[in-house]
Amino acid sequence: MNEGLLATILRRGFLSLVALFIAAPLVVVIGVSFNEGRRMTFPPSDLSLKWYRAFFTDAGWMKSLETSLTISTLASVIAVTVALPIAYAVWRYNSKAAKALAGVGSGLFLLPGVVTALMFSAFWGVMGHVGRIENVVLSHSVILLGIPVAMLSVGFQSIEKALIEAAHTMGAGDAEAFRMVVRPAMTPYILCALVYVFVLSLNEYLIAYMVAGFSVQTLPIRVFTSLRSGYEPTMCVGAVIFILLGFAAFSLLAAIGDLPKLMGRHRPLEA
Amino acid sequence: MTDLAVPLKTDAEAPDRDPVVLAGLLSLPTLFLIVLCLIPLFLLVQLSFAHREDGGLWRAGLELTQYRQLMTPQFLKVALFSFTLALTTAVISVALAFPVAYFISRMKRRAQITWLVGLLSTLSLSEVLIVFAFQVLLSGSGGLVKTLVALGVMEQAHSLYPNFAAVMVCLVYLVLPYIILFLYPAMSQLDDDIPAAATTMGASPARAFLTVVAPMVKGPLLSAGLLVVIFTVGSYLTPLVLGRPQQWTVGILISNGAMTTGNLPLAAAQAVALVSLMVGLLGLVRLLSRAGSPAS
Repeated sequence: MNEGLLATILRRGFLSLVALFIAAPLVVVIGVSFNEGRRMTFPPSDLSLKWYRAFFTDAGWMKSLETSLTISTLASVIAVTVALPIAYAVWRYNSKAAKALAGVGSGLFLLPGVVTALMFSAFWGVMGHVGRIENVVLSHSVILLGIPVAMLSVGFQSIEKALIEAAHTMGAGDAEAFRMVVRPAMTPYILCALVYVFVLSLNEYLIAYMVAGFSVQTLPIRVFTSLRSGYEPTMCVGAVIFILLGFAAFSLLAAIGDLPKLMGRHRPLEA
Repeated sequence: MTDLAVPLKTDAEAPDRDPVVLAGLLSLPTLFLIVLCLIPLFLLVQLSFAHREDGGLWRAGLELTQYRQLMTPQFLKVALFSFTLALTTAVISVALAFPVAYFISRMKRRAQITWLVGLLSTLSLSEVLIVFAFQVLLSGSGGLVKTLVALGVMEQAHSLYPNFAAVMVCLVYLVLPYIILFLYPAMSQLDDDIPAAATTMGASPARAFLTVVAPMVKGPLLSAGLLVVIFTVGSYLTPLVLGRPQQWTVGILISNGAMTTGNLPLAAAQAVALVSLMVGLLGLVRLLSRAGSPAS
């Protein structure tokens, strides 16, 4: 057999297996959510939308969905608002202070989740501000800060310096150059950073649980509670909603931004 | 994390205005990080030296009671297991992610975007969901067990968890998208001419990949492995749900200490120990890799 052909077959086979591994748990959850019966069986025995109806009419699940969406929206807006001046100061002024702040942000992201969760639960305890939704919002926005800082830095780097110089040559001040060149170039990166933080915050469990889990029930907390206290098919619907939200968010991200570049590819790519 | 932006050359006339602008820009982020990062970190360390009182309470102090408790065989065993688990996960996931990232970076643009969206979607999925999905997948009534029985690989249908292998597979699943995406930039920067030259000179593609491509990306591979260790050494949900008590990690001890037994100072000391061990491991690897590379 031709060696090149063999290599292609091996490569395709390997990639298909990895894709199967990545897809398997998701397929299982989606399948189980359409099960007619109460039991957790896969492949589903009788197809039914009954648990979807149950999910969307259950006040508890809807409240959790609302809580989760509120937390993620606020956390992503705060994280990006804080990250923007840091990334800008690093790019525009090469500021050491800004670099230090960026370093603290990414260092915090690298700490194990259980350590940061404990740290914040102690912090809010000492502040005497326990079990509130804003604890989760603020904890998420600071933990995830490293992501928008990194993504926005990629964005600033991509701005053509020649364009700014041209704006200055034509008599534009810093503010005008910012409005004409920097802002339009940065919009897709800001949107991408918002989406990314939103999705990660939406899915975060441990910090939310340890900071305010007993009074603020986010969707992951509710899923986990129902997982521990006995199986309940509606939680599969919650899971499917997560999968769909994440997939929609990242497809949107691919549509508004240059995904390969955002993920760190510098070389141009043929279509 | 990606490298920070290359600075734009500042204008000659701007400097006298810069400090003011800069202070204005950075005052909010600085305040934010002091209040929400440095103070909580300080509290965590302080808590680990605090005196424990009944009912989940504690009083600030400077005692080593909690650290002495870490020196027991039970804790050391759990800590050793956590690091073994993390290192095994690192080796397996990097070995898998390396070729995947390489192949993805060589695909056409559309195929690349499809893979990237798929990876990002799984990467963002809550650990809660993934653990649950594995529970269904590995359960006695799940499709996998049925298939194995039908194929005759398995004699009788029984659940494939809790055990070490289930914990391991789930952890690899959790970190795989991160590591593929982490290696992707380095892979897409690789020059295709060099492995091509190797194949022209008679090496098989697999051989060219292992002997030519792999050494070129040794640095990123090592960093990827360390990243996996960092991500998994504090793992909590996966070993809790898919493992037996023998597979419990420091993460579970910390969370139990904080939420169940109410011994916050001990949990804090365990957290500080975990992070110190992590930092120590990072330093050691750095030292070794520096000693290993020729000084030039």
